[in-house]
Amino acid sequence: MTPISRSGSGRRSLATLVCGALAAGGLAAAGVATLEPGAASASSHREAPLISGDPQYDNTDVYAFVSPDKPDSTTIIANWIPFEDPSGGPNFYQFAEDAQYDIHIDNNGDGQGDLLYRFTFKTHIKNKKTFLYNTGAVESLDDPDLNVTQTYDIELFRLKNQRVQYKTKVADDIPVAPSNVGKASMPNYEKLRDQAVYKLPGDATAFAGQADDPFFLDLRVFDLLYGGNLSEVGNDTLKGYNVNSIALQVPTDMITESSHQPVVGIWSTTQRRNAQGYYSQVSRLGNPLVNEVVNPLKDKDKFNASSPWDDAQFLKNVTNPELPKLIEAIYKIPAPKEPRNDLVDVFLKGVKGLNQPPHVRPAEELRLNTSIKPTDSPKRLGVLDGDNAGFPNGRRLTDDVIDASLQVVEGELVGSKNDLGDAVDKNDKDFEKSFPYVALPTEGSRGPLAKGTTSGNDVRNQLGDALSPAGSSGSDNMTLIAGSAGAGAAGIVLIGAALMWWRRMRRRAY
Amino acid sequence: MSGSTTDSAPENEHDGSPETVEPTAESEDPKVAAVRRVSKAAQRWRAAQLAGCAALLAVALTGGSIAFGALRDGGTATVASSSSAVSPGLMAGGDLDAGIKAIQAHLRGQPRDFGSWATLGLAYVEQARTKGDPSRYAQAQQVLAKSLKLAPDNEQGLAGLAALAAARHDFKDALRYADRTLEQNPYNERALSSRIDALVELGRYDEASKAADLADERRPGIPVFTRYAYVHELRGDVRTARTVLERALSTATTPGDIAYVATALGQLAWNQGDYDTALTDYARALAADDTYLPALEGRARAQAASGDRAAAIKGMEAVVARYPLPGPLVALGELYEDRGADGDAAKAKDQYALVDAWTALARANGVNADLDTAMAAADHGDKASALRAARAEWARRHTVHTADALAWALHVNGRDKEALPYARQATATGYRNASFLYHRGIVELAAGDAKEGRSLLGSALKLNPGFSPLGAREARKALKEASR
Repeated sequence: MTPISRSGSGRRSLATLVCGALAAGGLAAAGVATLEPGAASASSHREAPLISGDPQYDNTDVYAFVSPDKPDSTTIIANWIPFEDPSGGPNFYQFAEDAQYDIHIDNNGDGQGDLLYRFTFKTHIKNKKTFLYNTGAVESLDDPDLNVTQTYDIELFRLKNQRVQYKTKVADDIPVAPSNVGKASMPNYEKLRDQAVYKLPGDATAFAGQADDPFFLDLRVFDLLYGGNLSEVGNDTLKGYNVNSIALQVPTDMITESSHQPVVGIWSTTQRRNAQGYYSQVSRLGNPLVNEVVNPLKDKDKFNASSPWDDAQFLKNVTNPELPKLIEAIYKIPAPKEPRNDLVDVFLKGVKGLNQPPHVRPAEELRLNTSIKPTDSPKRLGVLDGDNAGFPNGRRLTDDVIDASLQVVEGELVGSKNDLGDAVDKNDKDFEKSFPYVALPTEGSRGPLAKGTTSGNDVRNQLGDALSPAGSSGSDNMTLIAGSAGAGAAGIVLIGAALMWWRRMRRRAY
Repeated sequence: MSGSTTDSAPENEHDGSPETVEPTAESEDPKVAAVRRVSKAAQRWRAAQLAGCAALLAVALTGGSIAFGALRDGGTATVASSSSAVSPGLMAGGDLDAGIKAIQAHLRGQPRDFGSWATLGLAYVEQARTKGDPSRYAQAQQVLAKSLKLAPDNEQGLAGLAALAAARHDFKDALRYADRTLEQNPYNERALSSRIDALVELGRYDEASKAADLADERRPGIPVFTRYAYVHELRGDVRTARTVLERALSTATTPGDIAYVATALGQLAWNQGDYDTALTDYARALAADDTYLPALEGRARAQAASGDRAAAIKGMEAVVARYPLPGPLVALGELYEDRGADGDAAKAKDQYALVDAWTALARANGVNADLDTAMAAADHGDKASALRAARAEWARRHTVHTADALAWALHVNGRDKEALPYARQATATGYRNASFLYHRGIVELAAGDAKEGRSLLGSALKLNPGFSPLGAREARKALKEASR
């Protein structure tokens, strides 16, 4: 039995529970997102508008994997600016000039960065009299018709105990791939993107520019949960949205401690220049979903401003997570026993014997054992499905981190086999076979966003799909499977709500 | 009678009042019409007890508004029909009404969603501000209380209460709720910002400066940058204010943010008498959002100051027609007086009367409007009530603005010796405000220090010669007389 066939009251109680607990996020966010800066100010004191946003500083995802077509190298991809909507005219999205986009690498497991790649951007406007992005068809990155361009510098810092030992400029004024504003303006976008893939000294390669958002998940379940009251929320899937990507491919021996210790921990941060003139960290991301799902609302901003070596402060969020308790409350699937040391392994230390460095200090990093060879046939559930080259050993673009995280949180590693998931198993666009691997951005002026949300019938059918358990059948745990359809839905909602909250949150501020 | 200040015209036509609306603006907003009606009534009964009557009326209006508001909020169709009828284009591009509608619909199904209750509360606060409809504050209070009842001490609910208190000019409460929010989440951008606002409005400038530094370290961004700039401007550090605002503008991407920051830049320039820069800044703001009222108001003031009175009057009329706040009402009244054409005196009086009506409405909705009252009444109303209001406000908070208001109210009541320390306090932080310098100059003259008075009047006129059409004229006159 699936929730869709339940009575309205059943649905309501589920929704109520979810809302009461976690959805302080999702739906509130849906509401908030529609609130724009307000107009008037009272006479006697200054009142700021309700909302402002800083998506340019918002790091949405980090990926790290051994390059499939170049196994002696490691690729790191970090994305910023969620929900880039290509439709509705020539939108373009830029990296902020007053930000430092940083990729950190910890190669000895002490929770401190040993290497830091810093990307900083400059904007160039050829014709300041026009605010047009391009003034004619753009054939190349240096086309005079491309009016607004960006370039970036890369610096490499070597650190010891958070002090800079050595600093070098790796690259100067590399061009950024522009936003894809549409066929008329950019008849051959692929060419522009290829021109933005840039060889660095030391056999490294870099790319920065727009890309399709590689994250995939289904948020149409909102339709179900809220009884169609907010069916427009179903449009808010990440399909069709772009992000700004930074990708870096480096020879693996450049970033590891030694061939005997091949595990690296990776995270990314954004620092923003403040009014006083120095930089404050405003965003941080390593593992997917940790801040979204594991940390409660009130810790999210703190997490963003913090550093891995201080992560002991969040330990309780991991050992005693909220999510399984919610699922238990709603669907009676027993939450695994606490403390959840299995989650500490996955999220904070790396899995023993796989990607846990010796003498590891628990810290939230995306840990990658670079000595594990890439596979020709990656499995979307990664390690859970016996494919050790994938999540949570690093993260490939194709890894289904929603399903994997949900299953892990529900105790997959401690004997509670389950097949929970959101029934979205891959990205809508295929990834590239070579660097920078991310898919080309969706161009401007395309059709409607979320397939199936245009007619009620479609929505219903697809919702039905969303409710079936993810993954293949054949689990031997029949009881759990019986409940898993529902739990799957709940899980999606919970994660979806938190994630949407998270992503939206960054646009909101005031 | 419905008296709802946000609702559709038909509702207002059913209120049984035979009063016709003053035809000052061609297509008048029903909200303005309601205020004007109160004003009309108030004028009629002025001999009796103007404020009392207006307040009574306002209470009646508000009661109706809340009752009807509740009903209206329960019916989707009504919401849909009313929202577009009111103050079209008031919102800076966003559809606040639709947002509110969506949250309300959601909450009908999910009444335990404390986060959404908090969001709804904030949205009401925003609506009250953007539409000048203070009756929404009571609703905001209700739903925020609901949110906190469902989840005690939840961050969003507390931050909402801080915003509500600030909007009602209850800055002590605003500070308290901001602090409580920061206990839950030290990085809450809204609370960090509210905290700066509250400290500024309480006149605790040193603490405000520290709060601005802290907020800037934790959450650099437009909300904090604009406050950081204001804290510096209040201490006379115009250069830092300008630098930070320009940096904020360079990072602004949405039309709302651009309009907001460019307007702040315009206000800063205007305060320094740099009208060309101010006009450029306002043009930048209006290019992003041509309905942004603070920019329209600022542009009208800058036009007036640079001698284009016709454009200024036209612009200010448009502002007042949409949002009859005391500041622009007084400015428009003074522009009429300054022009002095046939009927202008009466027109000016109407604007000043509207100030009284607005204040009564605001008070009835828990908004403390004493500072506005004091400033408007001292120059254009009942001097004794100006002093009462100024004293009341001074009792609540000691800021440069309240010191200036009290000094001026004491002066117009002939108590210059008493006014002197307050006038000096108003200029003590170094805030470069021509109006404060003018007030203090006049007070110094009246209290017998001709040299100091002349110097201050000279500084005021040098800093911002067009700070007020009537004030500047008075300043010149007084300077001339004192120099004889």
